[in-house]
Amino acid sequence: MENNQKIKNIIMALGEHQDSKAAIDLLTEFGTNSPDDEIRELTAQTLIKKNTHDSLRVVLISKGKGINDLSARVAMASINELLSLKDKSEAIKILDDTIKMHSEEEVRNTARSVRALMTFTS
Amino acid sequence: MQIGKINLNRSASTEHTSSPKKTTQNKLATNPFGVSFKGNVIQADVFESGKKSSNSIAEKGKLFASAVVSGINNFNESFRARINSVVSFGKKVASNVFDSIEKIGSTEISFDGIKNRLFPDREYSVKNLSNKSVDELKTMWTNLTPQTA
Repeated sequence: MENNQKIKNIIMALGEHQDSKAAIDLLTEFGTNSPDDEIRELTAQTLIKKNTHDSLRVVLISKGKGINDLSARVAMASINELLSLKDKSEAIKILDDTIKMHSEEEVRNTARSVRALMTFTS
Repeated sequence: MQIGKINLNRSASTEHTSSPKKTTQNKLATNPFGVSFKGNVIQADVFESGKKSSNSIAEKGKLFASAVVSGINNFNESFRARINSVVSFGKKVASNVFDSIEKIGSTEISFDGIKNRLFPDREYSVKNLSNKSVDELKTMWTNLTPQTA
């Protein structure tokens, strides 16, 4: 098994881990800052699947992470994962707050676009 | 008296028939068989049966067909026998493999170190990783990440 696959398995295990807070912290620290696009993509998807306030904040409001990732592949995968959530209420709440209050205009614009997409698809 | 008459008659009959006999013998002088049959030349070929021309072909055909059928039957039997032997061999191999897998699956290895050495990928299965603490996972992730100077 290659190292990349082993890391992917660790990410998947963290997604199912009972210690949710520690798992999110580790995913944020290691996963979202990985130089590998695949690792960042899987990390963002895992955090969105968790669908908690802390996990969604990382991928929605952090510059260069999740929907704001510089890689279009990672950003699109994150948006797709958001759109496929059954309960979108927490994500919409965070996006609304981001549109109103975030200091970065780029992040606000991205949040606005994703918010519009989520409105149309829900 | 009667005997004499008979003899006379015989001689007469021989004299009477002698001239055409001679002519036929002369005519068929080239045929060596004509002489031996005392003038009565058999026109038909006595060494060949009359039935031969039409029936023999059909009989030959039947014989040939039966030979072909028996040949096909023999081939089928031998083919079946070979296939059966191959199938039984395959089944035997499959059952052996299945038994081996069953044995491996049912074998309990109590020591984690030995288990990880025997099945290096098993350590990194999602199921196995889920049972580890986040700190352990962090250490494993750190070890897998290439260190940048």
